[in-house]
Amino acid sequence: MTRLDELLAYEVVEGLTEGQFTAEDYVTTILKRIEKVEPKVHSFITLDTDGALSSAKIIDKKLKEKEAIGQLAGVIVGIKDNISTQGIRTTCASKILENYVPTYDATVIKSLKESGAILLGKLNLDEFGMGSTTEYSRYQPTRNPWNLDCVPGGSSGGSGAAVAAGECTIALGSDTGGSIRCPSSFCSVIGLKPTYGRVSRYGLISYANSLEQIGPICRSVRDLVIMLNIISGKDTFDNTSMPSNPISIPKRLNKLNVGIIKELITGSDQEVTKSVYFASEKFKEIGCPCEEVSIKNLHYALPSYYTLASAEASSNLARYDNLRYGFDYSIGEYKWDTYFSNVRENFGEEVKRRILIGSYVLSSGYYGKYYLKARRLRSLLRLELLELFKKYDLLIGPTMPILPFKFGEKIDDPIKMYLVDINTVIANLAGIPAISLPIGFSNGLPIGLQLMAAPFGEQKLIDASYELEKIINIPRRPNSI
Amino acid sequence: MISKEELEHLAQISRINLTDHELQKFPTQLEKTIEYIDILEQLASDDSVTLDLQELKFEELRKDEIKVSDEKQLCKNITEDGFLRGPKMK
Amino acid sequence: MSMVMIGLEIHAQITALNSKLFCSCRGNYRDLRPNSNICEICCGLPGSLPIINQKAIEYSTMMSIALGCKVPDKIMFYRKNYFYPDLPKNFQITQYNVYGISSIGIEGKYELDEVKQIRISRIQLEEDPGRIAYSEGGMNVRNTALIDYNRAGVALIEIVTEPDFTGPKEVRHFLNKLSLTLEHLDVCDTLLEGSVRCDVNVSMNGGNKVEIKNINSFKEVEKAINYEITRQSNVYGRNLKIEHETRHWDDKKKITFKARSKEEEHDYRYFPEPDIPVIVLGSNFVANLKQRMPELPNERFERFRLKYQLSDHTSNILINDKKLADFFESTLKLHFSPVEIANILVTEFKSLIEDDTEGRDYLKNLKVKPEHIAELVKLIEGNKISRTTAKDILVKIFESGELPTEVVNSSNSFKITDEKTIMDAVHSVFDNEKSAVEDAKKNREAINFLLGKVMKFTNGRADAKIAMRLINSKLNE
Repeated sequence: MTRLDELLAYEVVEGLTEGQFTAEDYVTTILKRIEKVEPKVHSFITLDTDGALSSAKIIDKKLKEKEAIGQLAGVIVGIKDNISTQGIRTTCASKILENYVPTYDATVIKSLKESGAILLGKLNLDEFGMGSTTEYSRYQPTRNPWNLDCVPGGSSGGSGAAVAAGECTIALGSDTGGSIRCPSSFCSVIGLKPTYGRVSRYGLISYANSLEQIGPICRSVRDLVIMLNIISGKDTFDNTSMPSNPISIPKRLNKLNVGIIKELITGSDQEVTKSVYFASEKFKEIGCPCEEVSIKNLHYALPSYYTLASAEASSNLARYDNLRYGFDYSIGEYKWDTYFSNVRENFGEEVKRRILIGSYVLSSGYYGKYYLKARRLRSLLRLELLELFKKYDLLIGPTMPILPFKFGEKIDDPIKMYLVDINTVIANLAGIPAISLPIGFSNGLPIGLQLMAAPFGEQKLIDASYELEKIINIPRRPNSI
Repeated sequence: MISKEELEHLAQISRINLTDHELQKFPTQLEKTIEYIDILEQLASDDSVTLDLQELKFEELRKDEIKVSDEKQLCKNITEDGFLRGPKMK
Repeated sequence: MSMVMIGLEIHAQITALNSKLFCSCRGNYRDLRPNSNICEICCGLPGSLPIINQKAIEYSTMMSIALGCKVPDKIMFYRKNYFYPDLPKNFQITQYNVYGISSIGIEGKYELDEVKQIRISRIQLEEDPGRIAYSEGGMNVRNTALIDYNRAGVALIEIVTEPDFTGPKEVRHFLNKLSLTLEHLDVCDTLLEGSVRCDVNVSMNGGNKVEIKNINSFKEVEKAINYEITRQSNVYGRNLKIEHETRHWDDKKKITFKARSKEEEHDYRYFPEPDIPVIVLGSNFVANLKQRMPELPNERFERFRLKYQLSDHTSNILINDKKLADFFESTLKLHFSPVEIANILVTEFKSLIEDDTEGRDYLKNLKVKPEHIAELVKLIEGNKISRTTAKDILVKIFESGELPTEVVNSSNSFKITDEKTIMDAVHSVFDNEKSAVEDAKKNREAINFLLGKVMKFTNGRADAKIAMRLINSKLNE
């Protein structure tokens, strides 16, 4: 029998319903797993062990009394620490929010609780979601469970690593420029960035509001579908959220036309490129023709992304002045503006860089040169992609242009670090859904395939991913830990 | 290069103190980033393209109703009288 | 005479709203314990998002229509970025028209009177910041500011005019009319403290513009402008230049003073608010709203003149006091006699109020209701009481709240129409006022004196027509 910490979410629910084990057994097993691997991986910022155990007991009682249970009843879900959880510290991996305990649950957290999911704790990230390695967390960086010397990707690195290492069964991440897909690729798990507006952002601590979405990170497509359906929907607390149809597990696959984005292939490492061609073979096996396509405006995507994301970030992060919430820093004898500047010195370097760049591109005189152009590129890119989606159901390419790399390799050169997001920012700029699927390994390091679809085209992503998952055999559990 | 003055101005309007280390490192790093995004200038200007990705109909907007949430302590540093204590203004 | 150009920037709270602009906290923040009218959204907790109030858009559209502005099909919100402790997010959600049209009203023209037109640059909807109650601490706290966010997020309408005013009188005239409009549209109760604020810019002889901020009531605006014109004239008088600068109004000392230069150096880094999509009002929005919106003051004025046949003068007095005008129309519903009712209201009634009131919402606590006035006018018209008696009754019922008939019955104040009783009074007056009688015989103008005496003798109850006839016939004897 599979060990309880290796079960998929739907298997946990089945096992509990059939009485094969109790929720308490399952939670205890996961806690033991965490005890064993967490000192190596560092996925969590905050663990709510007592909360998880008491939730488990409630589920067990419900099961015993044959009460109805939710779709994710008993399943342990980890939450990226930039999603607001009532009563549980939410730090964004920042000194600035060290002592911040939210008074409210994000809409996705409410939905998860209603589904019976057990929230085990808060997962590591790059400070405020700004980074691709978790090295910018103010806590310890998370390590890649497949190779502890390598980064797990970011910014949802804690989420990717925890799911890969079996420290939780599913996790929620957030994706502003690739923050779900990058760690999913690097940690060999499945991660989806939904269509902009499909999932409520209420309670997601904003980095760049117009780009980001909350999404699931899982070990199976089936789990991902369950999770996505639970968190999707129009929310009265988010004016940018929209209604959507539920996703289902396909009975059989209809033919899908696949476009392989040429520019993303040529810009990638050889090992990564090989895997994409391998994937295209697999697509052909399941009856989906592939051909290469080109995206004309791709060239401008990353500069546009960094302009917009930094601009929004500089404004979103202005509220952290430590007056209303934050960390311990006495107001002393300071005048208010000195106090603000002193307090805000406690942001990490990368956050400061982006705030400064954001202030720069929004300054009078530069707005037209940077911000407006970036907005224009965004529209052009979206139009170009919508045009391509008339012909192709899916556009694919590598999720990351490179393999997971060693700690410290890029941290001193911001541009180098930014460049790893080049494949993922496309979906955020265009507001379209994108999934990262494990596709293979090179030297023991995971490689992910990115699939993109038209707005609200998640069903097509799921249809293809479900079939590929069946025929591509990927080891699920890293041996190194 | 971003000049020291320019950097200080940006830090001032962003209300962020920079450490000595950052004051040394940032001018080059920010300059590189700005050079990188400068490529946007080459983007052909096409004013006919709408910039807005999302629209909301008036009918969908929130109705004007009061909903008072239960008494929660939303902020820290609250005095006995209910005021929030902040740094002095002058 | 030097040329003066004045422009205004007016902020009016939409006090009619139940909730705030972006959350469901109370719009009426007044008289609440500090920081008790806040939620995750209006105190800017991490992860909260603004949810725009539909009704706020309607009210600001009505104001745009009233001030002759165009209302675009689509509107947007922008962020204005600056740091200040009363601003929970350290940015304000507002509107901005530099990179295309986003605000609710643009390019307005407002007829101040037959000759003068004021151009309205724009009308925009935005959120109010919180309040810094004590900038240097309260009783027990030193070196701290005390902040209250109850007001944060309350909906404001900002009205910006072109510098079309040439003097303080025009400004006063405009602000009066604007107040009336705000009241008639039921947008803003301008008498509430802090509900209307005004920034002013003044330039003279084509010189630099000086902005005056912090004028917290319309009454102070005229004073601030007068002060500023005098100040600038003096500067020019000494052959000096006027700096382009921001000054503040000190309403205790009644002077303007220069803001510290640092405070003026704002780069607000405006950009579109990403949490609120473009709002599509639709092409019929304005037309539909026009049908539903309350009558504007000038429309009401015309109606009073035409439908009720009131004079310009009477109509004006009523329109200038919306509550009185409403009282008038409520009375009409009970008894349709517009001219008589209006005359009582704008004369005796109003003078009694002015003796009696501290300004705010006075009609609410008044003992006299439309029922009283309707009955009083019926008594006059039914020839039951004289106008003089009516005045006395009004005074009495203001005190007691009794109905006029009750007063009349209990104090025996019905009009005297019995000729014999009046004749007795005439006799008595003729006996006592011999010289006046002689005068009246020679000069018919003096007859009014005798009538007055007769009325006084009967406590104003004698039917004046009958008394006059009897005096005349006695003089001719």
